[in-house]
Amino acid sequence: MDFTDDPEVAAFRHGLRSWLRDNVDAHAGATGFETAEAVARTHRWYRALAEAGYVGVSLPAAYGGRGLPDIYEAVVNQELAAAGAPPPPPIGHIAHAIADFASEELKARLLPGLLGCTEIWCQGFSEPGAGSDLASLTTTATADGDRFIVNGQKIWTSGAMWSRWCLLLARTEPDQPRHRGLSMLVVDLESPGVDRREIVLANGSKEFAEVFFDNVVVPADNLVGERGQGWRIAMHMLAYERGPADMGWVGRLGQVLGAALDAVRTGQLPADEPLRRRLAAAAVDLEVLGWHVARSLASRSSNVRTEAGSVDKLLTTRVEQNLYHVVSDLAGSSFVVGDPKPFADYLWSRAQSIYGGTQQIQRNIVAQRLLGLPRS
Amino acid sequence: MQIELTPEQRDFQESAGRLAAELAAGWHRGRGPHDIDPPTPDDKAWSRIVDAGWLAIGLREEYGGFGASAVDLAVLVERLGYHAVAAPVVGTLLAIEQLQTWGAPATLLEEVAAGALRVAPALTPQLRDFATQPQQAVAWDAAGATTTFLPDQGRLCRLGEPLAYADLTRAVARVAEPTEAIPVTAPSDEATDRLTAFGLSLLVADLLGTMQAALDAAVAHAKTRSQYGRPIGSFQAVQQLLVDSHVLVEASRSASYYASWAVDALPGPEALRAARRAKAFASRSAVEVCENVVQVFGGIGMTWEAPAHVWLRRAQGDRLVLGDEQHHEATIAATEFAPPERGTDLATAD
Repeated sequence: MDFTDDPEVAAFRHGLRSWLRDNVDAHAGATGFETAEAVARTHRWYRALAEAGYVGVSLPAAYGGRGLPDIYEAVVNQELAAAGAPPPPPIGHIAHAIADFASEELKARLLPGLLGCTEIWCQGFSEPGAGSDLASLTTTATADGDRFIVNGQKIWTSGAMWSRWCLLLARTEPDQPRHRGLSMLVVDLESPGVDRREIVLANGSKEFAEVFFDNVVVPADNLVGERGQGWRIAMHMLAYERGPADMGWVGRLGQVLGAALDAVRTGQLPADEPLRRRLAAAAVDLEVLGWHVARSLASRSSNVRTEAGSVDKLLTTRVEQNLYHVVSDLAGSSFVVGDPKPFADYLWSRAQSIYGGTQQIQRNIVAQRLLGLPRS
Repeated sequence: MQIELTPEQRDFQESAGRLAAELAAGWHRGRGPHDIDPPTPDDKAWSRIVDAGWLAIGLREEYGGFGASAVDLAVLVERLGYHAVAAPVVGTLLAIEQLQTWGAPATLLEEVAAGALRVAPALTPQLRDFATQPQQAVAWDAAGATTTFLPDQGRLCRLGEPLAYADLTRAVARVAEPTEAIPVTAPSDEATDRLTAFGLSLLVADLLGTMQAALDAAVAHAKTRSQYGRPIGSFQAVQQLLVDSHVLVEASRSASYYASWAVDALPGPEALRAARRAKAFASRSAVEVCENVVQVFGGIGMTWEAPAHVWLRRAQGDRLVLGDEQHHEATIAATEFAPPERGTDLATAD
């Protein structure tokens, strides 16, 4: 048993740390999705990271990646989090769908822009009527000679407002059982018939949007994989998206706890003994989460197990939401008076149990697939 | 980074689990407290434990032992917890580690490892720490033990009257008068930290096995117990209790692996820092899991006949030994999260 990095990983980590030391300050400030300027800075950060070779490191070198094992993606997330840098572009799952299923022509055409962050991508899965029950989606892509005609609506499409491309899950085979009737298409969002409307979140973020498709023409060449293979590709992607192990979440939460501890140690925020004990309990939980995700990553084989990812996500959610309760209590009245950021951050912690499969859906997955309990 | 058990550790886990299951099968809790087997293994069971090398594996090589790692011992202890084995192996392992940390004579350690001299660790009355005074000490996991060790006095002590103990699979006794003096050397701070970290890692492993066994039984029960014409495990309210328990078990497994790895791999203070966190987490989690398991068993979970209370009892006992989550979180709060005006906190005193 060994919880330390292998030498190659340690060397990679060391190189990334020194790059971050030289580059974070230039990029770390005021990124986000609240204003157009913040979005522009976020995209500049993505391009800087890509130019330095730290985007899509697990993708084949032929397409702009570095052909490294998955664990290196986690190292990038961990180190960016630990350095207080903005997160990397959330495109690993899209890149793996293209790289693992698309035609050579499509890969050569699309992957350089995706991995170079010169073109922004989004993922069109959820619909107003298909959230947890994704396979019930009704957006259609009707085959018409050498093209598909897309009609329908997507929601919760992260980054859609400024994306050029959308990886769209749509129904192409209306006669097939619902899981088998889906296909994955690459849609140019500048096509006629695409309409985008931003969603303003409760915390002010404008990261998400609704996307409407009204007779949008998509060339048949933009089909990823085979017709009817959409569900399989989507599950492949969710396996990459769902793992908090991969997302550097421990490091992000470590920053939150670290800031709280600094405030206590310096006396900037008063904390009585009961509150300090709750901070200690949150620190215990966060440390265990870190060990747990390390174990998850180390035991990850080439076929990613989504059920284990669900355990990780349930644990992460429990730890994160409790941590935000404690730091909110530490903040006292400044949680609600003055700078709106602490409250906005707390609000976002409530999303952890909703996005990427709700807490309830994750529990159903674990109950049925890991514990072998009968379907309800 | 290689975090799962090695093939050799898996083999050891399997063979230890087999013997643990056989030992557990020989212990009966009867029809009630009046009818229960004592937690003392009979001579045959004790010699099987000795012959399996369970007491000697942690003995350092200079004492003629195998010098097994803390991870190896955690593998063994997890299986003892899983089968709720009523035999003082964890207590003996803890006493052996304490004796060798204090440089006790090799002959004494060899006697203990051979099962001839039965030693239990002496703890403070709150069970949080190793005891220093015989008047202020209880011998823990002392079934069949005749002796305990008070290192600050450089003495072995006889055991006194037994005390009732909630965990039916272990015994606790008062400490009586000192017997022979033994030469000891006070360990360095580094070694003291490592000893505590080692003890905590054993208890975390025992808690892990206990909660895993309880959860497995509850899952099996939920698949077969039927109400409203369906297995109760098909109801989401029941599923969610079991899933939340599974998450805590898996996180505790990660904590157990890390804490026991750290005993041998990290400097003493860091190993202790990790072990405190692991013990706090596993203590909290094991009680939550075992309570959930009682709930899933329903009425039968409240009976003497059903095993649910055996796991809950073992979890509650283990939880307090070498400090529960309240104790360790108070220590972390006082040492790591101290405000500038105050450095210490009375809440952590035993």
